[in-house]
Amino acid sequence: MLENTTQLSNAAKGYFIKTERFKTTYISYNFYLPLDRDKIAEFALLPFVLTTCGKEYPDFSKLNFKLNKLYSASLSASAEKVGDYQLLKMSISVIDDKYALDGEELVVKAAELLNSLVFEPSVQNGAFSDEDVRREKRKAIEHIRGEMADKRTYARRRLIEEMYKDDIYGLPKCGTEEQVAAITPESLYKAWRELISRAAICVNVISGVMPQNIFDDIKARLALIDRSGAVTVGNSVQTKSIYAAKRVEEEMDVAQGKLVMGFSAEVDPDESRSAPFTVMCDIFGGGPYSRLFANVREKMSLCYYCSASGEKRKGLIIVDSGVEDKNAKKAEVEIIRQLEIIKAGNFTDFEFESSKRSIVNSLQSYGDHQEAIDAWYTVKSASREPISPEEFAQYVLKVDRQSVIDAAKTVKLHTVYTLKPKGEK
Amino acid sequence: MMEKQIFESEIGESYTVARLDNGLTVYICEMPQFRSAYAVFGTRYGSIDTKFSKNGKPAVSVPEGIAHFLEHKLFESEEGDAFTLYAKTGAMANAFTSFDRTCYLFSCSDKFEENLGILLGFVQSPYFTEETVKKEQGIIGQEIRMYDDNPAYRVFFNMLRAMYKNHAVRIDIAGTVESIAKIDADLLYSCYDTFYNPSNMFICVAGNIDARQVLKQIGESVKDRGEVSIERVGFDEPEETDRGYIEQKFPVLTPVFSFGYKQKITSPYRRLKSKVCVELLLEIICGEASPLYKRLMDEGLINDEFDYEYFTGRDFAAVIFSGESRDPKAVAEAIKAEIASIKEHGFDKKLFSAVKCSAYGEAVRMFNSAEAVALQFTECAVCDYDLFEKLKLYKTVSYDDVLKRTDVFDDALSVLSVLSPLEDD
Repeated sequence: MLENTTQLSNAAKGYFIKTERFKTTYISYNFYLPLDRDKIAEFALLPFVLTTCGKEYPDFSKLNFKLNKLYSASLSASAEKVGDYQLLKMSISVIDDKYALDGEELVVKAAELLNSLVFEPSVQNGAFSDEDVRREKRKAIEHIRGEMADKRTYARRRLIEEMYKDDIYGLPKCGTEEQVAAITPESLYKAWRELISRAAICVNVISGVMPQNIFDDIKARLALIDRSGAVTVGNSVQTKSIYAAKRVEEEMDVAQGKLVMGFSAEVDPDESRSAPFTVMCDIFGGGPYSRLFANVREKMSLCYYCSASGEKRKGLIIVDSGVEDKNAKKAEVEIIRQLEIIKAGNFTDFEFESSKRSIVNSLQSYGDHQEAIDAWYTVKSASREPISPEEFAQYVLKVDRQSVIDAAKTVKLHTVYTLKPKGEK
Repeated sequence: MMEKQIFESEIGESYTVARLDNGLTVYICEMPQFRSAYAVFGTRYGSIDTKFSKNGKPAVSVPEGIAHFLEHKLFESEEGDAFTLYAKTGAMANAFTSFDRTCYLFSCSDKFEENLGILLGFVQSPYFTEETVKKEQGIIGQEIRMYDDNPAYRVFFNMLRAMYKNHAVRIDIAGTVESIAKIDADLLYSCYDTFYNPSNMFICVAGNIDARQVLKQIGESVKDRGEVSIERVGFDEPEETDRGYIEQKFPVLTPVFSFGYKQKITSPYRRLKSKVCVELLLEIICGEASPLYKRLMDEGLINDEFDYEYFTGRDFAAVIFSGESRDPKAVAEAIKAEIASIKEHGFDKKLFSAVKCSAYGEAVRMFNSAEAVALQFTECAVCDYDLFEKLKLYKTVSYDDVLKRTDVFDDALSVLSVLSPLEDD
């Protein structure tokens, strides 16, 4: 799938992922910067400001009109935490030229549009426009508040905050409301300068044909920027186990309580050796065959969802569940008991094989979704030689029972966060 | 014996529709470019089918939420559950219930035939006992609680409750803790025997499959269950709404709203052309390139959560605008004013041509995903549409066709539903 890699500049790579499966071409810009307490909010806001206006399109109605004329070309922006790094993404997806009704050139136009938005923002006198910054700040603050209303997201976020009080990873991915409020048109401009000069960059192009000149254009633009101080993406600090688990309880006006448990784990940062961790997490709380689904939900009827997810870079597992307050303790005991069963090697061959099959099935399906391909190569861009989903599937198939047990033995309860309905003690 | 029809399109995709002697309709789209495939086995039976008669017998009423309950229970058989069977193939399986349909689905990158066998098997083998029904009441009770805490879901159903006096669309799809307590095994069997007859069902398949083989397998496996005539008792829904405004205090920080126009309707279903015209009209009224969208954004009245849809199914139709806003009433007033202005002066022809272009692009983009195609087939099956008709319509609908559809907006039939922050926040 990965056809070729082009060095675009210092710490900047372009990946062409050739695939004939889609009717669209997908291009993404990905910027990696180390998480920074003082700048996290500025960096997180940038993709959103940059994709709503630019020098060429100072007014977002005109930009959206242009996207419509490009047959619903879709621009997206996101800001995520990937281990101890902030990942800022801007992408465009556009239908291929052969589907245009009047022979219009779509792909090249869309690529040019994205390039111009990233490198030629609407800036005057060393500052973004006041109006644009004010609007995007308001939207970002409302988004932060909106996430608080989604109790599942909120509870997971609170667990991370509590678990990583002294670690940079505990920062909310878009900063706090106060930090967003403090952004100025000038500080945002400074952040943009830093983004294009200092971030590790990966540009993914996923298409049947490589759009002409796209990497040359980017190279030429990056050549004008001093990137001698650009960062490279390294390993993140793994979660340290603690002796006695921390407990945090909160009350809120909700119908259903939430129980979220964070565990530390030791994970080998080498891709080829991390597959046992993937399989272990899945046996614990992946599909319907998993220990948590089969026991906490199906056998004990304690909840509608109870699942485990792993973050390899941090050596972290999160189990989350929506439970009635009176059942929370019972659920917690059962979740721990299920983990102990895996540690003792008492999971069944059925669970073990089902888990591997399910992971392989999903890895084999990656190539059927442009966004999944993009996400895969974005995250893998930090490695010297990114492996494909199919190659990782081969590692998964080789995982044996003992390596799952060994991976489980490193897992230790770190923090338990409970959200309780008000008035229930 | 079966009837077969093949549809072709100009974008290089084609599909087959077959009607079996037992009444089952099958939609198949071969998409050999993909690695995986997606299949749905569905029935025209959803949460609004609460009162019906079978084969001319007296009409019966069933508890709210029973279609969804049946969906959960159908995964179980005397030998175990379908998830266990899927675990042996690695497929991802799921199901959903909406207002007018229940669908069981899987996706897989391998062993399609075996997976289809599992799907055909469990959907045709109901197995309910008092004990398993009781267990499910606990799990679904937690699912209902989860939705009780979901602002988007709550504000939407509050709006429907204010909009409809009698139509069952006003009831939560999962029912209530009280209504599902009335469900027993006999009731489940009675609903199953009525609605899970092949003549009321459909199968939709898309992806890397061989259409002939799939049809052969389905033909051999789906049993004839004798003819059934189902009469769904009407709701006696008056034209007017129950209330024009509904508000609930909720743990949100920014108010959440849903603003809808109930449509006067004279037939159970809307034709595809009129749906397409209303959808284009919505893009013109408040799409991202519209003047109203810009005004609302600039005035700080909406954010990226803003959305709109034409919500229609058997015996109901409404246009709904939703989102978060510091002042939902001002948003509703601005929408009303924009519609009044369009009714009087028409709309920008350039914008019209841009939104048509965009909608065409969206329709092409759908073929990026076998899942999207299979799910769109369920819409074709329930509403009797041709999958490619949209592509043709976006090229042919005229300015006047779209302008005419302003008739769906009657201010007297509008409803504003708001979730407002709790006082102590």
